[in-house]
Amino acid sequence: MPVSLLEWRDEFRIGIPEVDQEHRELIASINALHAEVGEGTTTEAVAGFLGELHARIAAHFALEEKVMRARRYPKYNEHKRDHERLLDEIREIMDTYESVRNYDQAMLSATLSVWFGRHFRTLDAELHSVLGGHG
Amino acid sequence: MLKRSMRAVFELADTGLQVAFGSRCNPFAQLGAIGWLCFWVVCATGLYLYVFFDTGVTAAYASVESLTHGQRWLGGILRSLHRYASDGMMLVAGVHLLRELAYDRLRGARAFAWITGALLLPLLYVCGITGYWMVWDRLGQYVAQTTTTWLDVLPLFAEPVARNFLDAGHLSGRFFTLMAYIHIAAPLILLLFMWVHIQRHSAARVNPARGLAIGVGAMLLGLSVAWPALSQGPADLSTVPAVLSLDWFYMAVYPIIDRDGGAVVWIGAAVVGAIFFALPWLPPLRRPAPAQVDLANCNGCGRCFADCPFGAIEMGRRTDGTAYEQQAIVDPDRCVSCGLCVGACPTATPFRRASTLVAGIELPELTVATLRERVVTAASSLQGPQRTLVIGCNHGAAVQPASPSTAVVAVPCVGMLPPSFLDFIVTRGFADRVALAGCRAGECHFRLGDRWTEERIAGSRDPALRARVPRNRIVLSWRGSGERAARRADLAIRSGEEVSASVPARRPPIARLGAGRVALQATAFALVALLIGAFSVWPRYRQIASDAGVVKLSFSHSAGRREPCAKLSPGELAKLPINMRVRTDCRSVELRLDGRLLYAGNERPAGLQHDGPSSLFRQFAVPAGPHLLDVRMRDSGRTDGYDAEATRAVQLSAGQSLVVDFDNATGSFAFR
Repeated sequence: MPVSLLEWRDEFRIGIPEVDQEHRELIASINALHAEVGEGTTTEAVAGFLGELHARIAAHFALEEKVMRARRYPKYNEHKRDHERLLDEIREIMDTYESVRNYDQAMLSATLSVWFGRHFRTLDAELHSVLGGHG
Repeated sequence: MLKRSMRAVFELADTGLQVAFGSRCNPFAQLGAIGWLCFWVVCATGLYLYVFFDTGVTAAYASVESLTHGQRWLGGILRSLHRYASDGMMLVAGVHLLRELAYDRLRGARAFAWITGALLLPLLYVCGITGYWMVWDRLGQYVAQTTTTWLDVLPLFAEPVARNFLDAGHLSGRFFTLMAYIHIAAPLILLLFMWVHIQRHSAARVNPARGLAIGVGAMLLGLSVAWPALSQGPADLSTVPAVLSLDWFYMAVYPIIDRDGGAVVWIGAAVVGAIFFALPWLPPLRRPAPAQVDLANCNGCGRCFADCPFGAIEMGRRTDGTAYEQQAIVDPDRCVSCGLCVGACPTATPFRRASTLVAGIELPELTVATLRERVVTAASSLQGPQRTLVIGCNHGAAVQPASPSTAVVAVPCVGMLPPSFLDFIVTRGFADRVALAGCRAGECHFRLGDRWTEERIAGSRDPALRARVPRNRIVLSWRGSGERAARRADLAIRSGEEVSASVPARRPPIARLGAGRVALQATAFALVALLIGAFSVWPRYRQIASDAGVVKLSFSHSAGRREPCAKLSPGELAKLPINMRVRTDCRSVELRLDGRLLYAGNERPAGLQHDGPSSLFRQFAVPAGPHLLDVRMRDSGRTDGYDAEATRAVQLSAGQSLVVDFDNATGSFAFR
């Protein structure tokens, strides 16, 4: 059983219940999917996992963007740009793994961890400091 | 069928306008918006005219005259603008209506706009008619007399309204004050209905593209300067305006009222109205299943809500107990099943494979999973160097795959396709090119499909097509159902050719105005101006023959309750002319001209108890010259003889209006 890919931490909390909830669920489901995709799984399964991740994150970003717009978040554009960049990146990762024969779980874990964690720790934390604090 | 031929005519006109105006300024794609522009022009000019308008029997005409000639370059032009913009509004509304009818854009969720739009027409009519009335020139006089006889057909008024316009003595300045109020109130109600009319269309267009607005404004102004609107001489109730220039945009039915009576026109209007109201529910009626929300895949992000062209989606409180605040809720009555919501949903991505592919919002008749399946199946059959997968709707020009290198997948609207499908098809190598084949640009059957598609591909609208997807692998072909050849040409771009030009950077830029285009546009505007200018005065209408006058028989008279009509014996019946053989003799009023019976009738007393005054208004065209008029009335229970009789030799001149009235004070007939 591999370790959790991502871990929810309280400091990720933004203070908007629906966004926090989705963050938490997202991390849980990514971890669950990731756990299912064990060592030596087929390319098919990895691609399936990444495809699912891509859809869920796209939906999550859409919701986060709606919340930011509704609350007139001043750094909306910057944050939105980062969302787009992240979605571009996960598509890159997806395409890479589509053609990879020997799947290296550790490497994927590292890539995803970096990919997702950075946005969480920087931009979402900033969102927290501006919009949160009351939830 | 009729609709198909109408559509063909519109497509043809469209193609011409497209060449002249480009897709952004194509007037046919924004007729409603031009109508709004005309409305504002009429309002603005009307405010100015109102400042100088006097409400008196002679003052009304005089004030309009001094406005027209006294301040030729301001009041005169504004008056002309007021008229021509009103005519333009009628024209635009009519074409708009025919167009929606031709393209069958009036069913389901669109019935609302269709019905409210149809209701706008009579309101617009009231605005126009009262406007002509107020000027109180000879046309105003004609409009007053014909409109009132038209209204008098309806059992609305105890006394014929037409009696107000018998002669100058009957007419009061108050009437013009009333007219002015109606002429201001009606447009306000019109505006309210115009607002209601667009309520169920999200992103409804009420302002035409700037270039087009300038063009329309310049056209109206040019027309006003070149061909100013003029009065047709002061009204004179002792004469009949024999020959008049009618504004056919508003008065097309008036000659029918003159000839066949108001009842015919009312019945005609009722029949046409009933057909209008029934049209949205007439066959062929097919109602695809409305979109459905899947809460397990909906986090309430609101993108479907933002993209729905008919406001059928609403973001409501979450009902499944999750922490999400909102969820999409579809109003099935407003949903047209276009699928633009599916195209907007972030979970509608074909890359999902681990779970069953269900999007947050789905069309039951074509789910995202089915769509992916069809795309994959169609793509697998592709052969050849430039494999093209066409995703097309059923409303534009049809696509017939000509070779094994082309396959077609049908969708209700191109906008249903989530951008991630383009990514999927291109980057996973299912095809070398994807062609999106929809309705003519700006003419999407579902209003916004082409626009949202272009903006998503351009990256200016969520969900955006990822920047990494090469745009030169995507072809857009916006072609109407009559442009099959053009569509084939769009899709027949040879392998390797650069097609990125077909994907606009953002909204298509305003096409550069070359000299040729300017000439084409100017010609188009000039033709419309000519159309408006001409039919606002031409062809001239002759109300009565040049050598005739009019005798009007009219009175309002209280009588004692009458006995029932006397029954006629068969012998008496046989003596009557064949068209007058009615079994009962109800004639209590008779008007004879030179011994010939002009009118005979029994006027029913008004009121529920039939104890009110009896009223009568009739007019007869009579050749000019000397005549002997003989009028009789019986208003008591007697069965023979008359209570009032008068005979008068008159000299009727051409165009004269002679009134035969009953003076209640003296109890005798008066000839004026």
